[in-house]
Amino acid sequence: MKSNRQSGVSRRTYLKLAGAGSVAGLTVTAGCTVDTGGDGGDGGDGGDGGSGNDTGTDGGDGDGGNTEIVPGTAPGFPPFEFKDDSGELVGFDIDLLSAVVEETDYTLADWEEFEFDSLIPALQNDRIDVIAAAMTITEDRQETIAFSEPYYNADQAILVAGGGDFSPESLDDLAGQTVGAQEGTTGAGVVEDELVADGDVQESEFRTYGSYVLAVQDLENGNVDALVIDQPVAQTFADQRNVEIAFVYETGERYGFGLRQDDDDVVSALNEGLQAVRDSGQYEEIRNEWFGSDGEEGESGNESAGNDSAGNETGNSSNSSAVGE
Amino acid sequence: MDPTVVAQTTGDWAFVLDNAPYLFVGAGLTILLTVVSMLLGFLVGFPAGIVEVYGGRVSTFVVETVGIVLRGTPIVVILIFMYFVFSTPSLTLGLFDVTVTLSDAFIASVLGLGLRSAAYQSQIFRGALQSVDEGQLEAARSVGMSKLEAIRHVVVPQALRRSVPGFQNEVTIVLKDTSVVFAIGLAELLTRSYDLFVRQTTAVLEVVLFVSAIYFVLTFVTNRGLDLVGSYYEIPGGEQA
Repeated sequence: MKSNRQSGVSRRTYLKLAGAGSVAGLTVTAGCTVDTGGDGGDGGDGGDGGSGNDTGTDGGDGDGGNTEIVPGTAPGFPPFEFKDDSGELVGFDIDLLSAVVEETDYTLADWEEFEFDSLIPALQNDRIDVIAAAMTITEDRQETIAFSEPYYNADQAILVAGGGDFSPESLDDLAGQTVGAQEGTTGAGVVEDELVADGDVQESEFRTYGSYVLAVQDLENGNVDALVIDQPVAQTFADQRNVEIAFVYETGERYGFGLRQDDDDVVSALNEGLQAVRDSGQYEEIRNEWFGSDGEEGESGNESAGNDSAGNETGNSSNSSAVGE
Repeated sequence: MDPTVVAQTTGDWAFVLDNAPYLFVGAGLTILLTVVSMLLGFLVGFPAGIVEVYGGRVSTFVVETVGIVLRGTPIVVILIFMYFVFSTPSLTLGLFDVTVTLSDAFIASVLGLGLRSAAYQSQIFRGALQSVDEGQLEAARSVGMSKLEAIRHVVVPQALRRSVPGFQNEVTIVLKDTSVVFAIGLAELLTRSYDLFVRQTTAVLEVVLFVSAIYFVLTFVTNRGLDLVGSYYEIPGGEQA
């Protein structure tokens, strides 16, 4: 009823306090020097209203005078892109793109990180200029973005728990089992198209994960019978965890750098850069660094030589579930 | 552990503890996002609640419609709209020779989380305002206060006190929802935990437990703190009013 005299704070003081509190809160926020995630660093060119990108690319790139390329990736996919012991972004894609851009007139800005599914929207909205995230060139994706020449060949590997009694030898052996993959990846597409569509695997038996690390954990725990995952990554997990590659499903997949369809200059520059990196032997060095000098297991078609000017054909049966429409 | 597994350099818990500072930086961003979003939510949501209870026909309609849209949209969709569709710019603040550049992703996150929180908070305050007895407003008017004065001096002070429990809940929800900013590339606590178990894949359980503990401490401290605020400003016998 009557206001509280006991707390020593009158109604009005209380309100003023509440008001002052919020103002103080804002001040503290403004004055703090926490790095706000992204690239809260160099203020870029604060001048181009509306382009909203710290790194100084102006949205649209319409002026042709912009020589900085903003790369984007989705970490968590060793050895292509992941965080090392000091929290730095490292991996095959990171090194390769740096080497490729080195060969062109462009410069590479700081890396932006997204979830894999957010990469294509980020590219189309000019947040980033190139995707380097072990992204498979598929027809679905080519409807929305352009790709560079392929820079890596990969097939899908089927991972099963180590020492278990389940050792499938072909996709048919997976019928009636629980199968997992990471959302939005080609592996998920393979399961969808080859197994779920035919009724071999029930929709309810198909598990998708936000990250392959969690998928492998689930495999070890026995909650899922098999995973479909890019072969080089599968090899990394097989080395580190109690899982093994049961067999390789050849999809003839090729990874490419994702680019905007109207950025012809960037596409051709990167393609030339990629060729230069191959010719100079740098590609070989980078690949050996991340995959060991013996290349990966599997047929030698996975060597860079087989990739040379492989044209941009997408002769793969796999149709990845399209992302980012 | 299977003998074929490559021996890890450290035990999983040692690995988590070694990397605790890395996670704490993420926790700092989580706290910052929560505080700024809650402030924005309060500054927009409190007036919105007042408008919904006492506003005119047009203003009430506008506020209610915006609220319904914000409350009915998943937070991930709101964030993606803010970041990709509206293209939020980055913001450079200067204060006492210290300049801070807030990245565009941070601004988009604060706007997304803050405006959605405002929509929820407006309902918390609406409920609190409506719980104050009508007779009090009449009594205030009869002693000569204008409608605005009566709301400001009689209804709002009581309503604010009653909205503490709902507000506590909202803080907790926003704190945990900050984890969805990963979608637009902000490395907060949960994102950083993903980075960690990609590096040492055997440590999934340990990392998740550790991060959960951080979230728990944050929510617990916040709730206890607001409990104290609530009991400090409590009106003796005010519940029957």
